[in-house]
Amino acid sequence: MKNQSKKKIGKASNTLYCLLIYLFLFLPIAVIVVNSFNATTAKPYLSWKGFTLDWYIRLFDNAALLSSFGNTMIIAAVNTLLATCIGTLAAVGMYKYKFRGKTVIDALLYIPVVIPEIVMGISLLTLFSKTSIPRGMLSLILAHITFSIPFVIFNVRARLAGYDNSVEEASLDLGANRMQTFFRITLPVLAPGIGGGALLAFTLSLDDVIISYFTNGQTMTFPLKVMESIKSGVSPDINALSALILIGTILLVVLTQRTSMNKKG
Amino acid sequence: MIGKKMKASSVSAAVMVGPVTLWLVFFVAVPLLYVFVMSFCSLDQNYNVVFHFTMENYARLFDINYLEIYVQSLVIAFLTTVICLVLAYPFSFLIARTTSRYKAVLYMLVIIPFWTNSLIRIYGWRTFLGANGWLNHVLISAGIVDTPLDLLFSKGATILGMVYCLFPYMVMPLYTAIEKLDRNLLEASADLGARKVTTYRKIVIPLTASGIFSGSIMVFIPCLGLFFVSDILGGGNSDIIGNLIERQFQSGNNWPLGSALSIILIAVTLLLVKLYQKCGGDLESLGV
Amino acid sequence: MKKKAISLLLAAVFALSLTACSAAGSSAGTGKGTLNLYVWTEYVPDSVIKGFEKETGITVNVSTFSSNEDMLAKVKAESEGAFDIVQPSDYMVEQMINQGMLEKIDNTKLTNIGNIGKEYLNPSYDPTGEYSVPYLGGVGAIAVNTAKITDPITSYDDLFNPKYANSLVVLDDFRATIGMTERSMGLSMNETDPAALAEVKTKLLTLKNNVKLYDSDSPKSALISGDCTLAFCWSAEIALAMEENPDIKIVYPDEGAYLFMDNWCVPKGVKNYDEAMEFINYMLKAETAKAVSEEFPYLNPNTAATALLGSSYTDNPAKNPPADVIAKGEHVQNLDTDTIAIYDAMWTELKK
Repeated sequence: MKNQSKKKIGKASNTLYCLLIYLFLFLPIAVIVVNSFNATTAKPYLSWKGFTLDWYIRLFDNAALLSSFGNTMIIAAVNTLLATCIGTLAAVGMYKYKFRGKTVIDALLYIPVVIPEIVMGISLLTLFSKTSIPRGMLSLILAHITFSIPFVIFNVRARLAGYDNSVEEASLDLGANRMQTFFRITLPVLAPGIGGGALLAFTLSLDDVIISYFTNGQTMTFPLKVMESIKSGVSPDINALSALILIGTILLVVLTQRTSMNKKG
Repeated sequence: MIGKKMKASSVSAAVMVGPVTLWLVFFVAVPLLYVFVMSFCSLDQNYNVVFHFTMENYARLFDINYLEIYVQSLVIAFLTTVICLVLAYPFSFLIARTTSRYKAVLYMLVIIPFWTNSLIRIYGWRTFLGANGWLNHVLISAGIVDTPLDLLFSKGATILGMVYCLFPYMVMPLYTAIEKLDRNLLEASADLGARKVTTYRKIVIPLTASGIFSGSIMVFIPCLGLFFVSDILGGGNSDIIGNLIERQFQSGNNWPLGSALSIILIAVTLLLVKLYQKCGGDLESLGV
Repeated sequence: MKKKAISLLLAAVFALSLTACSAAGSSAGTGKGTLNLYVWTEYVPDSVIKGFEKETGITVNVSTFSSNEDMLAKVKAESEGAFDIVQPSDYMVEQMINQGMLEKIDNTKLTNIGNIGKEYLNPSYDPTGEYSVPYLGGVGAIAVNTAKITDPITSYDDLFNPKYANSLVVLDDFRATIGMTERSMGLSMNETDPAALAEVKTKLLTLKNNVKLYDSDSPKSALISGDCTLAFCWSAEIALAMEENPDIKIVYPDEGAYLFMDNWCVPKGVKNYDEAMEFINYMLKAETAKAVSEEFPYLNPNTAATALLGSSYTDNPAKNPPADVIAKGEHVQNLDTDTIAIYDAMWTELKK
């Protein structure tokens, strides 16, 4: 009997602990969402002045904010596309072929992952200013691709471990050329790894603050726009936009989970 | 046939690996080289960089003020890592070993907050902890305290922000490592009469060591450079190396000094990574 | 069904992004030219910029900075001509002229230049008046939350009193805050003597305990939110804080205050010179300057505008610093690199 109640207390305290952690994680989210309905009018927009849906409507009048979000989406999309292509090709190529300098490339790959973002940011800034590459969308995209490629490669490589070549060889023997083999046989097997890498590239791009801070020139991305607003007081339309983005991503995840669960069933 | 294959091989190899090689050389190796070179340069009267060799920047790194900031950065990073580990380990253990249907959901719930912009979440903490913020409002209304708690713009607030930002980086490797634990081992240990504490000490922790190391590295290193957290929550009072570097490239107008600081930061990072590898860490697991 | 939902969701995200992108493409401007503005945070009202875009059809891109040194760093880091208009303070104008970073401003194109009070033209930092046009100025003054602090505060020196530990917000600006320390000791804000500076450093470091927050972007936020009860910051910020919380009062220091004047300048290599001239001229209009002062109540050198503003401006000591404050005050000037290095070292030690 004693053991039973001990177990129950144990389980209850475990659950409580997890709940507290989740509370900690979601507290700022709650603040953001609640403040997006705040009818306050004056900076710094901290005190609660009543409920309103105004900010969600006024959001669409805020051209500067929307355009910064648009920039972020464009950068994230282009970055994901290019980083995934370059990274996937590289991962497969490095897996298949042995060549000199492989260890050097390996080492270079770890650098963007391991060193603090601020160092990446300033080194890219130095490069761009010395080579007169215009600072703006171009420099941002180049910078984002740089830190995304290693993540794509690592994810694809994880999939490649233990990959059986024989299917590829069979395909070649049956007369398909290398291209066809690559697209019809290799890629589908690698798909989860590529997907994971692409997702990571997209996510990192969406929220990048430090590297974008140094390489943006005058182009505003959403995180940088938020940074600017924080200086003078975050106006609730930014909260509204963040809340919308959050809902969007949650829905996306829920739906993709359901679909994959459906497929399994 | 064999001859043709080999030729095709080298072309394919070039096509596949060429782009990434060029990219890495041009956008990673060369810029870092520039930074290295710049750390030995000087400034002219107009704050422009001139290629005049000097060790002065490195000498300035030993300035007593800077040394104190290094120590502060390491202390903050260390505390952040420890707090993250202590908080995340039981949590990851419970989630990873739960038999609930909603295991995947529980895991996703850790990741979901991080799809909201990190700056605005840190700002959310500012709204929560301020003198007239939510927490103080609640505490004062409930009569728990008379005057508002002074929580914001302090080292503690900075550490809170860092822990918050880097928490999932500790959870993810721990979760992966704990999930791999063989239930049978734990049961065997209990059957052999070991108390729970002993089981944890002798079996669970050593077997999840790789997760602990990965998580610690993934938290400690970024912590040194996360300048916006100390800016927003620390009030400019808890400067870390990241702030120093940022300042030299912005208002300080001293790129050579900033470069020297960055080189030192890279050196520290590489040292930590080597340490990690010596302890059996796997570098590739850091990126997945 | 679920696949349909996903595609719908993706379509929604896509649509939102498209709206955002099209907003990026078309601002109020109708493509009759662009203008790249680089100005202080909380200094040029959005409404004024929109008004300019509407009137001229020029698209304006705005970037902001919160210290002169930040601005200088960015202008240097970017390629020439990245910005068409910058907004340096007095001493920074001098520095930029010395470094050959400014284009001459053709005053004949500025039909409204007559609106600026005579005393503000041809200042010491730009004697020929060819490189700058005054915009707004003010004082680095003291703000006190009289509900929380009941002792009389009358000078910069009072801010160093250990009683006020962890309650002060000061500007994140080394010239301003070190200058304030120098004034509190009866020294000039542009002191160069190393022996004197050593004493300044000692006093400056005693401030460390009192400072809770360094903020040049929006120091009034900390005052309004109650996180700080004492402040050394821009006079207009104090004016705005006073409107939000009547307990907050402005104090001009006995020792003579830190004065500043910010100006429109055109950097070398400017790409849209004509548009820049149109903009400056637009800002010089009495109605525009009046609108600016209504949102950011700084000292306004545009006498035509102050006439329009009337007593709400002239009678408010925070918005319109009294003549004797201006007379007793001092401007920050350019210093040589060795002295700046000493100031810089002091600042680093303070902020660690």
